[in-house]
Amino acid sequence: MAAPLKADYAFDTEDLESSAKIVKFAVLKKHQEQDAAQERELASFEETMLPHMDAAHNLARWLLRNEEDAQDVVQEAYLRAFKSFGGFHGSNGRAWLLTIVRNTSYTLLKKNRAVDLTTTFDEEIHASGHESVSPATLLERSEDADLVREAMDKLPVDFREILVLRHLEGLSYNEIADIAQIPPGTVMSRLARARGKLKECLAARIGKEK
Amino acid sequence: MNCKEATKLMDGYLDGELDPITSQTIEQHLRECHNCDQAYKTHGSLIRAIGNATPYFKAPAALRERIQSSLRQEIAKEPVRNVEDSPSLFSARPRWTRTVSFGTPWSGLALAAAIVFAAIITFNLMSRLQRPGNDQFLATQLIASHARSLMANHLTDVASSDQHTVKPWLDTKLDFAPPVVDLSSEGFPLIGGRLDYLDNRPVAALVYERRKHFINLFVWPASSDAATAPKTITRQGYQLLHWADSDFNYWAVSDVNANDLQTFKQQFETRTPHH
Repeated sequence: MAAPLKADYAFDTEDLESSAKIVKFAVLKKHQEQDAAQERELASFEETMLPHMDAAHNLARWLLRNEEDAQDVVQEAYLRAFKSFGGFHGSNGRAWLLTIVRNTSYTLLKKNRAVDLTTTFDEEIHASGHESVSPATLLERSEDADLVREAMDKLPVDFREILVLRHLEGLSYNEIADIAQIPPGTVMSRLARARGKLKECLAARIGKEK
Repeated sequence: MNCKEATKLMDGYLDGELDPITSQTIEQHLRECHNCDQAYKTHGSLIRAIGNATPYFKAPAALRERIQSSLRQEIAKEPVRNVEDSPSLFSARPRWTRTVSFGTPWSGLALAAAIVFAAIITFNLMSRLQRPGNDQFLATQLIASHARSLMANHLTDVASSDQHTVKPWLDTKLDFAPPVVDLSSEGFPLIGGRLDYLDNRPVAALVYERRKHFINLFVWPASSDAATAPKTITRQGYQLLHWADSDFNYWAVSDVNANDLQTFKQQFETRTPHH
């Protein structure tokens, strides 16, 4: 009695489309359309976001201070960005991507290196001696990339972040506020403190050399 | 503005991020206060120098390839997004199989319900003849086939109003020789013929037209004891008319009205040689 049972059930639930051939055709066609749509989306994503890969890498590299981690984070950030690309309607692709890079970096820092988030200043910053460095010397030596990099790396992560966004990406205070997720009103004060500490840090290293 | 306020706003002024009025106030102060002016100039030069000297870590070329390949993997891994309602590639089975068996997390419950349901139906069917169920299933197939023939731009395999073209063509494709007649003079011009597959066998589909409507007449050999009284079924706006003679089963499917279909059957029967 299997046949009539099947027949009756089929009668109740099938419709015109349930012919296997038609369903298969429709499914295949739908999949092809979806594949094509995804290809288009990926192409659009890459066109919008790949130009900002240097910015993404630079930020991750400064936040993590480690090349391998930086590349992992940038790759992960691109995947996350692609998944939520449907929600991106703005024109500022770089700021949008950098926000994701920043968050992905912090996730990694929290997971693996919680200590980095609470890093206090290196002792040498508070060591005496940097007061004796003249502004002229400071200015002269601040053209030394290695020295600047060493000094920057001594700063806490939120200072490195704001300095990179302003000095290397030239972003506006509003963009920085969005990316760093702080109120726009605090961008200037944090930037001022970061610059102040960076100057101290540079002076300390120069003073130590003497 | 005093020196303390000016110092506080110095970075904003340096970065050009202050509103015009505050900027003017600072400019005014810097013109008047030599110390602040000097401090601002020193700070500005230093910040610019530091900014220029800060290394910019460009992405290595390999990272681009790595990202692009991981994006493509992502697409391959999740070929379908936001379309959970769409059937998977492998669900091209008839829909009832899915519904009854493994379509949902409720499959266990559904299966149990289906078994009970099946028992009831089986019992009911046993008390009747088997034919109605088969007819309903067949009717579904017939309507699907008819609708598909109109939908898919595949009404005919051989388009001809000449029965002497259509019949030989069908004869070569099938293991039987269906009767083909043109009923133009009766108002049902022959449009052509088509091969179809119904009731687990290849069948002939003859296509007739009636005032811009089409009639699919499905023909296949009758089983020995299949001769039954003519039968009409109306479903989904379609008329189905079934009859049989000693040789063939006939199913006419169309959206013409029931009377037209009856006329069609009578004309067809009159014109086909009786055995």
